[in-house]
Amino acid sequence: MSLKPAVQAVGAAILAAFALGAAAQQPNPMDVVPDKMPFDIPYGAPISLEHAQTAIAAALAESKKRGWKLNVAVVDSGGNLVAFARQDGAQLASIAISEHKARAAAKFRRETKAFEAGIQGGNNYLITLDDVVGSRGGIPLVQDGKLIGAIGCSGGTGSQDEVGCKAGAATINK
Amino acid sequence: MNSKPCLTLEDCKKIGAASEAEARKNKWNVTIAILDDGGHILWLERMDGATPFNAEVAIEKGRSAAVSRRTTKNWEDRVGAGRNALLNMPVLPIQGGVPIMVGAECVGAVGVSGVQSHEDEQIANAGIAALGLKV
Repeated sequence: MSLKPAVQAVGAAILAAFALGAAAQQPNPMDVVPDKMPFDIPYGAPISLEHAQTAIAAALAESKKRGWKLNVAVVDSGGNLVAFARQDGAQLASIAISEHKARAAAKFRRETKAFEAGIQGGNNYLITLDDVVGSRGGIPLVQDGKLIGAIGCSGGTGSQDEVGCKAGAATINK
Repeated sequence: MNSKPCLTLEDCKKIGAASEAEARKNKWNVTIAILDDGGHILWLERMDGATPFNAEVAIEKGRSAAVSRRTTKNWEDRVGAGRNALLNMPVLPIQGGVPIMVGAECVGAVGVSGVQSHEDEQIANAGIAALGLKV
């Protein structure tokens, strides 16, 4: 003599309702299996210091022209720091963030904007992936079809960071 | 109100260029890191052939010199003299980190890694000399 059978019946009804609900929903976009690998850029030789500094100089010039204060980092194809510069008065937190953006762009072979868009679009699982940074301003540097490094900017809004970053990336990504 | 001098990016470029010239003159491939007085990176370059390891060590040498206001050689010497307890201090006690002193004020530091420790320090000193500060 107990309430158990009644509770079980209610539980079963709830489960059934969920199952019905799921069946009525749209198919899960995560279940789609594309034919090709995404962002399939082969890793190349590490970027030279000269190229890294040229990219940083371009990013700084763009930032300076607009009166902004950015931190700019360039990493090689292994995601390791090659060159860095902090403009006068740029915020301290962005030292690490600029390097993180560059590293994430190199390791995931895509702009960090892709993460930002994904997270904003509701794909919150992206936050659980290792070393992700969900903010634009990290761009891979690709020469002759191979990824030689990446550039990351931080210090302003994501959109400001990206402007600096694009100016720097344009020196390599022809 | 107190005020104190502060390194600019232009200062960093001068230091970096002089350090790099000293390294190139000797055919040394190193990482040069310049940090502010709080131990935060202002400028860094890893020359072709220098390892990712060098970059981490250069930053840590520079940070140690900046926040302790003394050379990392000073730390190394004291450890070498038997003061093993210093190994528990939050610094890297290996020569190659040099504070940048303006009078009695520390405005930052240069850390170098890639060749022998005394050569790393030679590169750091060459960079700081480019600022033309009175010692």
